Amino acid sequence: MKFSHAWLGEYVTITEEPAVVGERLTGAGIPLDGIEGRADDSIYDFDIFTNRPDCMNHLGLAREYAALAGAPLRPPEIAVPPGGRPTQEIAAVVIEAPELCARYAARCVLDARVGPSPDWLRRRLESIGQRSINNIVDATNFVLWEMGHPLHPFDLDHLEGRRIVVRRSRPGERLRTLDGVDRALTSEMLVIADARKPIALAGIMGGEATQIAARTKNVLLESAWFDPVSVRRAARALGLRTDASHRFERGADPEGVTAALDRAARIIAQVAGGSVTAPALDVHPRPFPPRVVAFRPARARALLGFGLDDAFMRQALLRLGFAIRVPADGAWSVTVPSFRRDIEREVDLIEEVARQRGYGAIPAEVPVLPASDQGRSPRERVFQDARRAAQAAGLSEAVNYAMVERDDCLRFDPDVSEPVALTNPLQETAACLRTSLLPGLLRNLARNLNHGLESVHLFESGTTFHPAVPAPDERQRLAFVMGGRGLPAHWSLPRREVDVFDARGAVELLGDLLGASPLAFSSDRIPFLEEGRALRATCDGRALGVVGEIRRSLLATYGVDRPVYAGEIDLDVLAQAHGMVRRYRPLPRYPAVRRDLAIVAPAGTTFEAIDGVIRRASRLPIADVQVFDRYRGPGIPAGCASLAVQIMFQHPERTLTTQEVQESIEAITATLSRELQATLRGVESR
Amino acid sequence: MQSRVQDIRRQFDRDLARVKDAASLEDVRTRYLGRRAGLVTALLRELRETPPEKRAASGKAVNELKTHVEAALEGARTTVGAAGPAPETIDLTLPGRSQRPGSSHPITQVRALIEEIFLEMGYTLESGPEIETDFYNFEALNIPPHHPARDMQDTFYVEGGLLLRTHTSPVQIRTMQRRRPPIKMVALGRVFRRDSDITHSPVFHQVEGLAVAEGITFAHLKGTLEHFCRRVFGQDLTLCKQTGWLEILGSGMVHPAVLEAVGYDPEHVSGFAFGTGIERIAMLKYRVDDIRLFYENDLRFLSQFPG
Repeated sequence: MKFSHAWLGEYVTITEEPAVVGERLTGAGIPLDGIEGRADDSIYDFDIFTNRPDCMNHLGLAREYAALAGAPLRPPEIAVPPGGRPTQEIAAVVIEAPELCARYAARCVLDARVGPSPDWLRRRLESIGQRSINNIVDATNFVLWEMGHPLHPFDLDHLEGRRIVVRRSRPGERLRTLDGVDRALTSEMLVIADARKPIALAGIMGGEATQIAARTKNVLLESAWFDPVSVRRAARALGLRTDASHRFERGADPEGVTAALDRAARIIAQVAGGSVTAPALDVHPRPFPPRVVAFRPARARALLGFGLDDAFMRQALLRLGFAIRVPADGAWSVTVPSFRRDIEREVDLIEEVARQRGYGAIPAEVPVLPASDQGRSPRERVFQDARRAAQAAGLSEAVNYAMVERDDCLRFDPDVSEPVALTNPLQETAACLRTSLLPGLLRNLARNLNHGLESVHLFESGTTFHPAVPAPDERQRLAFVMGGRGLPAHWSLPRREVDVFDARGAVELLGDLLGASPLAFSSDRIPFLEEGRALRATCDGRALGVVGEIRRSLLATYGVDRPVYAGEIDLDVLAQAHGMVRRYRPLPRYPAVRRDLAIVAPAGTTFEAIDGVIRRASRLPIADVQVFDRYRGPGIPAGCASLAVQIMFQHPERTLTTQEVQESIEAITATLSRELQATLRGVESR
Repeated sequence: MQSRVQDIRRQFDRDLARVKDAASLEDVRTRYLGRRAGLVTALLRELRETPPEKRAASGKAVNELKTHVEAALEGARTTVGAAGPAPETIDLTLPGRSQRPGSSHPITQVRALIEEIFLEMGYTLESGPEIETDFYNFEALNIPPHHPARDMQDTFYVEGGLLLRTHTSPVQIRTMQRRRPPIKMVALGRVFRRDSDITHSPVFHQVEGLAVAEGITFAHLKGTLEHFCRRVFGQDLTLCKQTGWLEILGSGMVHPAVLEAVGYDPEHVSGFAFGTGIERIAMLKYRVDDIRLFYENDLRFLSQFPG
C-alpha cells in the first residue's frame, strides 16, 4: 500500500530519512516493499497485513511511527463549521438489519458546489496513485486514505423520501452501481435503500442514480460500520472488491465512524462550500464494549526470552493508544482502542511490546531441547533412496502439477472410472487429480524432444490420488519415461536407441539399491502398454508396478513421435518390503567353478525357463547364472536363438572336482534338451 | 577330416606370415581358436561328436594342429611384442567414460538442504495428506470461515467437501495431536493455491517448522531463523536481509488458540512456527527469475543442477 512521506508528516514530525522510517517500521512488523523518491516527496510501499486494517491509512501508520520514534501524534482537525441546521430536520436513518450494521451516522452538506478539487487535495490523492474525480468525492476519498474509514456521499435530492434505510435486499431487486454494471441482488446482501429502492451496496459501492454529479447541490454523507462477514460474502458473490469492502472485511473502527464523518463534512465545506448540518444523525443499535485484556509483564518477559522493564512496556502500550490500569498486584488491565480489533489476548499485547522494541534488538538464541531419535522416518528414507536409485539409472528428476485432464486419469488407471475432481478448477485441462505420474512425464518428454534433445530420461516421485471413502487415497509413486538415444552415450560405444530393457533395468536397479530384490516380473496385458512389451513387477508377492513400452496409439495424444519406455511403481509397497535388514554372509571359502554354455533353443523359450531348468537340474549348488550373449543368425537354425550363459557352481564346504562339474553340466544339458528342446553350441571352461 | 586338418594348417601358416602387429595377431588367433567360430575350435567340437571308434585317428591330427597353432601364436606374440611398431598414440583429449547419474530437481535439492539443516538441529521430519479438511487447513489454525486471511489462500476444493491444502500448516496440527511436547518438527511438501497469476504457480512447495515446549521464546525463533538463513544462503546474513527474509519467512509465536485447539495448556507450553516457499528460496539461491521454469522440466534447465 502506498504512503506519502509528506502526508505522514501532517500527523507526526519526521526528522529521519525515508529509508530510516522504512527500517523502523519493517523492524516493527510492517515490512517495507520499496520507496520511490520524487522531487518533493517520497512514496513508500508498505505491506500491511490483513490483521492491521488500522494501518491502511496515513494517520494509522503515523501512529505506529510516532510510537516508535517517541514523537507526539497530531490527529487532524475534525470540528465542523458551526451554524448548520440539525440533520434530523433534513433526513432520516433507519437500520432494519442491526445484526449487519452496528452503526450508521450521517450529515448533510447543503448548497455545496460540485467542481474540481483544489490543488492540495488533488496532489495528495495523486501522490498515492488515486484519481481525482470532483471536490466532494475527493474529500471522502481523502478521508479514507487519511483516517481509514470508508465514507459514501449521496445526492440528497435523489433520495426518495430523503430517507436512508439499511436493510437486506428483497427478491428481484437490482442496482446499477457506480461502475455502470446492472447487478442482481440476493437477500443475503445488505443494501442502503431510500424509501423505495436500493441506492448502494452497503460497504462496497454506491449506486449510479444517487452519485454526486455536476448538478448536485445537497449531499448526504454516510459513515457506518458494516459486518465484515456480510461485506465479504456480498463482495465475493458480486466479484466486486473495492477499497471500502477491503477495509470493512478486515474490520473498520466502530468508534471512528463519527470522527471520519465530521472530518469529511469539514473538508467538503472547505472545498465545495455549503453548510454542514449539526448535530449528525448517529444510529447506534449495537455498540461494542471496549475490550479489556489482562497483561502480565513477567509473562511477556518469559515468552519473549529477553528483559523488558515494566516502564518500557507501559510506555509502548500507551503510545499505541492502549489505556492501562495497574493494580497493586497482579496483571495489568489493558483497554484496547476500538481501532485495534486484532488485539484479543495477552499474547497480542506481548507482540505489541516486542514490536516496539524492534526486531533488531531481540537476541538470537537456539532452543536446547532433548534430541529426537525420530529424524527422517523409514518411509521418507525409502522415498529418498528411490529417488537416488532413479538418478543412478540415469534418470533426471521432473516435478509436475498434480492437476491433469480427466482423460489422463482414465488412460493410465484402468481401474478408475471417476477420478478425484476439483469443484473449482482453473481450467478443464487441470480439473482432476492425477492417478498416475506418467501423463505429466510424457508431456515433459515431448517438450524436450521438440527442443531437439536426442535423449530424454526423466522420472518423478510424488503423490497420486485414487477415489476412496471417506477421503481419496493418496499414494506415493515413482514413475519414469525414456525416449531417444540409450545411455550411456559415449564416442567409444555404438549408438543405440532405448529399449524395454533400459526400462526393466531401471526397476531392477531400484529393487537392488533398496534391498527389495529380486523383484519378480511377469508379462501381462496392461491397457496403456504395448502388448508383448508389458511387465508387472511384484515384490514379496505384492503388486509393485508396471514397466514396458507405452502403447504407440497413445503417443500422438502427448505429442511424441517415437517409442517411449516407461515404468511406474508404488513406493509405499516398496517401503513395506524395505523392512528387510541387511546381514553379512560369510565369504565363500572354496573357489567357484564357471562354465559357459551356448544354448540353442526354439525362439520363444524364455531366459526365465532356461534359468529355472539350470538351477533345478544341477546336482551342485549354483551361486549365479548370468547371460552374456544372445545371438540369432548364421550358424543358428532358423526359428531358434542362441543364449550364452555363464553358470557359477560353488559348494560351501569343499572344492569342486572337474568330474562332478561335468556331470552337473550333462544333467543340465539333458534336462534342457528334454524340457525345452534346447541343444548346446559348445561347452567350454574358463 | 584329416585332409581338412591339413588345409587349415596351411591356411594358418599363410595367415600367420602376414601378421604385422598385435591387432592382426589377435585376429588370427580368433579366426582359429575363437570360442564361437574358431576353425580349430570347430574341429575339436566335431571331434567330440565323432563315434569313439573313428575318433583315435582324426583326434591325433586335430590335437597336433591345436598344439602347432598355439605354439606358433605364442612365438609370434613374442616377436610382435619385441619388434612390432610402437603402441598406437592415444588422444587423451577425448572425453572419458562414465555412467552419468540423472540430476535431482532443484526443488528437491533445496528440500534436502532444508531437511538436513533441521535434522541436524534435532527436528523430526513430518508429513501429512495433500487433500485436507477445512478443520486442519483453516479452523484449527485460528482462521475461521470468512476470515480475510482466507483470501490470501484461494482454495481448490475437492468433491466431497475436502480441499487441497493451501499450506503445510495442517501438519503442525496433526503432529501436535499425535504427540506431546516437546516437539520440534519440520514438514516439507506440496501446497496448492487457486492462483492463475503469471508470478504465482497453482502448485508450489513449502517448508513449515514448529517448536513447542516449556519455555520456548521469541528469541528462540529469531535464533533459529538466523541459523537457517545462514545455512541456506551463506555465512553473512546480507542476502537474507537484502531480500527481506522477514517476509520470506512468515513466522511468529504459536497462537494460544491453536495450542488450546490441540489440548495443550498455553500457560504451560509455548511455541514458535515459521513457514516459507521452497521455490522462493531456490529462486534466490540459484538466481532463477521465473518460477515456471521449475515445472516445465526442460532438461536444458534441469541439467544445470547436477547432483
